[in-house]
Amino acid sequence: MREQLLALQEQALVDLAEAEGNALDAWRVKYLGKKGELSLALRSMSKLSAEERPVVGQVANAVRETLEAAFASKFAEWEAKQAAIQEEKETLDITLPGRTRSVGAEHPLQKIIRRIEDIFIGFGFTVEEGPEVEWDYYNFEALNLPKDHPARDMQDTFYLSEELLMRTHTSPVQARTLEKRRPEWPIRIIVPGRVYRRDDDDATHSHAFTQVEGLVVGKGVRMSDLKGILLTFAKELFGENQEIRLRPSFFPFTEPSAEMDIRCIYCGGDGCSTCKHTGWIEVLGCGMVHPRVLEMGGYDPEEVTGFAFGMGVERIAMLLYKIEDIRQFYQNDLRLLKQFASLPE
Amino acid sequence: MKITWNWLGEYVDLTGLTPEQVAEDLTSAGIPVEKMASMNLGVEGVVVGLIESVTPHPQADRLRVCHIDTGTTKLQIVTGATNVQAGQKVPVALVGAKLPEKHIELANFRGLPSEGMLCSASELGLDDKFLPKDQAEGIWIFPEDAPLGENVVEYLGLNDVVMELELTPNRSDCLSFRGVAYEVAALYSREVHMPDVDASGVATVSDKPLSVRIDTALCTGYSGQVVTHLELGPSPMWMQMRLLAVGMRPINNLVDITNYVMFEWGQPLHAFDYDAIDNREIAVRQAKDREVLRTLDSQDRELTSGVIVISDHKKGLGLAGVMGGECSEVTDNTTTVVIESAMFDPMTTRRTSRLLQLRSEAALRFEKGLDPDAVLPALHRASALMVQYAGGQLLGNPVITGKNLVSPVAKVQILVRVARVAEVLGYAMDIEELEGFCHQLGLPAVREEAGLRVSVPARRPDLLREEDMIEEFARLAGFDRIPSTNLKGALSHGGLSKTQKLRRMTRDYMRNQGFDEVWTYSFVDGEVHRKLNIADDHELAHPMRLLNPLSEDREALRTTMLVPLLEVAKYNASRQWESLFIFELGTVFLPTAPNGDKGMMAPVEKKVLAGVGYGSVAKEPLYAGRNYDFFDIKGLVEGLFERLGIKDKVSFERMAYPYLHAGRSAEMLVGGKPIGKLGQIRKEVARTFDLASEVYYFEVEMEALMEMVSSHLYVAELPRYPHVERDLAVVVNRTLPVANLFSTVKAAAGSLLESVTVFDVYTGEHVGDEEKSAALRLVFRAPDRTLTENEVQIAVDQVLSQLNSNYGAVLRK
Repeated sequence: MREQLLALQEQALVDLAEAEGNALDAWRVKYLGKKGELSLALRSMSKLSAEERPVVGQVANAVRETLEAAFASKFAEWEAKQAAIQEEKETLDITLPGRTRSVGAEHPLQKIIRRIEDIFIGFGFTVEEGPEVEWDYYNFEALNLPKDHPARDMQDTFYLSEELLMRTHTSPVQARTLEKRRPEWPIRIIVPGRVYRRDDDDATHSHAFTQVEGLVVGKGVRMSDLKGILLTFAKELFGENQEIRLRPSFFPFTEPSAEMDIRCIYCGGDGCSTCKHTGWIEVLGCGMVHPRVLEMGGYDPEEVTGFAFGMGVERIAMLLYKIEDIRQFYQNDLRLLKQFASLPE
Repeated sequence: MKITWNWLGEYVDLTGLTPEQVAEDLTSAGIPVEKMASMNLGVEGVVVGLIESVTPHPQADRLRVCHIDTGTTKLQIVTGATNVQAGQKVPVALVGAKLPEKHIELANFRGLPSEGMLCSASELGLDDKFLPKDQAEGIWIFPEDAPLGENVVEYLGLNDVVMELELTPNRSDCLSFRGVAYEVAALYSREVHMPDVDASGVATVSDKPLSVRIDTALCTGYSGQVVTHLELGPSPMWMQMRLLAVGMRPINNLVDITNYVMFEWGQPLHAFDYDAIDNREIAVRQAKDREVLRTLDSQDRELTSGVIVISDHKKGLGLAGVMGGECSEVTDNTTTVVIESAMFDPMTTRRTSRLLQLRSEAALRFEKGLDPDAVLPALHRASALMVQYAGGQLLGNPVITGKNLVSPVAKVQILVRVARVAEVLGYAMDIEELEGFCHQLGLPAVREEAGLRVSVPARRPDLLREEDMIEEFARLAGFDRIPSTNLKGALSHGGLSKTQKLRRMTRDYMRNQGFDEVWTYSFVDGEVHRKLNIADDHELAHPMRLLNPLSEDREALRTTMLVPLLEVAKYNASRQWESLFIFELGTVFLPTAPNGDKGMMAPVEKKVLAGVGYGSVAKEPLYAGRNYDFFDIKGLVEGLFERLGIKDKVSFERMAYPYLHAGRSAEMLVGGKPIGKLGQIRKEVARTFDLASEVYYFEVEMEALMEMVSSHLYVAELPRYPHVERDLAVVVNRTLPVANLFSTVKAAAGSLLESVTVFDVYTGEHVGDEEKSAALRLVFRAPDRTLTENEVQIAVDQVLSQLNSNYGAVLRK
């Protein structure tokens, strides 16, 4: 009996080696099925003596395990082979493009505004906004620029009526904020927005452009604080090693007034065409809020002081992204804009 | 303002300084030097020569042979110039000489040697823009008194440097050499020496040669000096060259002297022909309305009472501070003039010069305000120069009138507190240092208990209060001395407002949907509504208009984002973009006042999100197959509403717009209030913008959306019992909006209905021509139990019965 079982096993393994596909199923039925040969062989065990039965039983179980294991392994092997054949058939050209919807681009000016906002939000500033059609009062008078003040020449203005105009800077929001918040302080705001000057459009001038204004009013605010915050800002925006310098200048609504230069970000100060070989690039105007502006806004300049600054977003974007013509920001050529879909900060 | 180094050196000692260093220091002190250039662009070996004779070239009709005496040697020079004559003095470039663009060598013209070259002004590197025409063309003919043999670099003063100052509006004091000299003196602790203005000439006449009456408050000072026996002629070469260098055209000795003194003192002067003044009486008055005055450019100017005129009792003689009159112009026959040195109201002068579009160096200085302390010195200085360089004799003493000249103006006194300097700047300076700065600036200062009391001379009208002085101290100390410090005081909470956050989120959403962000101009063509098929009486056809636009296509404030976006689409479509998806979150300006008086009120400024899309939905051509359509753009805005959590609040209703497809456009409403629109751009409108495909557009008002957005999110309890779905295909009239079916279903199904959606709309052979079949999926659920078949069936029956009675809907067979 034992020999018979082992012979069966041997025969079965030989058959299994040959079997494929349906033949595998047939093999399983033939050897391991309920009416298969192993079952038949086991059924004849009843004829064995009580001593022989457990021994043969053991052998029979061993044979079953061997065959089942062999089958499982053979079946898995066959399945894997089939899967491989199937996958071979289903093989794609993975170099073909993926199915995407375009990633939309952020407008370069929006990108710069967002960065500037985020930097100042980190400093504890909030973001204020104001109308683009503005009253003469807020655009000029409340900023210490009375009618016929010669400094109004600096900014040629689009008018809608005697008193209504397109704001020439974001500074009217300074006056509006003082009026709204008085007598409370501290005030720490930035103001992004579109402004208008009556300039013919060319590579460096635009009748519409974008500014970000800043205003801080509080007890003991000093010009050194202005310098400190601008230095940190410049490092955040242009890089950790950025240096700045302040130069005396004039704005009717600040006193003292200054221009802020950054070390040329292209030549590092050695001198190049961008910085006109000075090593410095002018990026913003700033100063201590003029006492008249505080007074007109309802604050006592003896009690609080403040600083303000304003920068041109286009200018910064042109520097950072090496855009050479300001009109490109408003031309919206997709060949340019699309580059801002993926541009890093 | 242009200055030259040598001219500046007449008023302040520049020993030991270089132009480069002064330019740098002035720039750091707030007087930026924009440009700096040597006047000598490379002239060497050119001398003043006398033409002794001119003969024709024997071999060439167009050439002449000049015999030249240079004082030390005689030369033969062949020239092609036609304006040379014997007896003239001319610049002679000797053999070996260098010119900016030439090197002179011994030459031979048609057999005759030429030992040098006669030069034009431009060959000497001079900008001949301001030279009189007869000097700018051909060889430069020098005046007779040009010293024979002198190097022209010396003669013309070319060893000089021109600096161009970019002055801020507050520093009008630096519109003169005197002002710049004070600035340089302050930087290097030096003294300013203005020329001696003692004008004691030959004042002989006993009777009064001139009387002046001021009839307007707009003139605060008027002084005049009569000078007679004048000989009109060119001014000395050095004066001409200096005027040229600062951008002023030399004219004749009298005019040049008034201009020279204006640059020196900052005080504009004017010279009238004395004989043109009737009765020797000048009146300064406001013009009569519609008074006409012919100015010396031969134009008749109609005046208003806002203009100051200088006149006699018969006629106007000139526009004060702006331009002289033709009748009193200095001409070749003039022998006696009145030099006028006066103060006119800056704003009036500014308005007049703008009104008449006459911008001059004089008007510029009047506009900025003058220094009363310079009025008389300038008058005396000009008188003295006319005596010296024009053979003049003073007739009588100067006439001086006007409050600013008769009674001295009180000096501005500023108290500077030492502690305040530190409070404003963030670092301390001691009183000795501040006193030192005052001394450098030439400002008398005395110590008081509270600080330093500074007396400001009239030449610095920009110094009015303590902060102005603090700026003076800071810039003399150098802004580099200001330390970098951190703001003191309580921390403040920074961040974006809710609206600003939602706007950022909206932009992010649009970009994630594949839309590129654009920024367009706010100004449009005022008639642009016609391109949009909008009638002239439509509200969008009445934008606010600029009073002073730059061009017709940017004359009005946009009332819709559509036009700018279509223009962007057009621009890119012409650059082969076959599909395009763009958006802008920008401002539109809606007039608030009715026609006629709009402009008197500020417009409503609305932030609008708008987008345009056309072309293949798939980015890759490989997967192309479907073009962007109505339901894409509707889905785009629905997605936004879902993101904002307001989707259920917005309804879409069919609405006709002049520029949208009548069957493919919709208005978006919230509680009956329109918040936006979307749809296909009418083909004929799209064609106006050269767009061939089906173009889709949407716009929504951001504020309207933001108002609805809730600040809180509360999670709904998760359902505990299963739902039951029922699909119903109902046949209805083809034109019936499916949304009507939804509302009927919702009303009829009762509280067990959880949702209803449409999953198929069929038209075709299995339904009638006027019919469609809409397949609706109804989902029922109860919060507290599993629904029974019976409960659901009752609800479905109610739905079917209501659909049937409302719309004749029947179940599809």
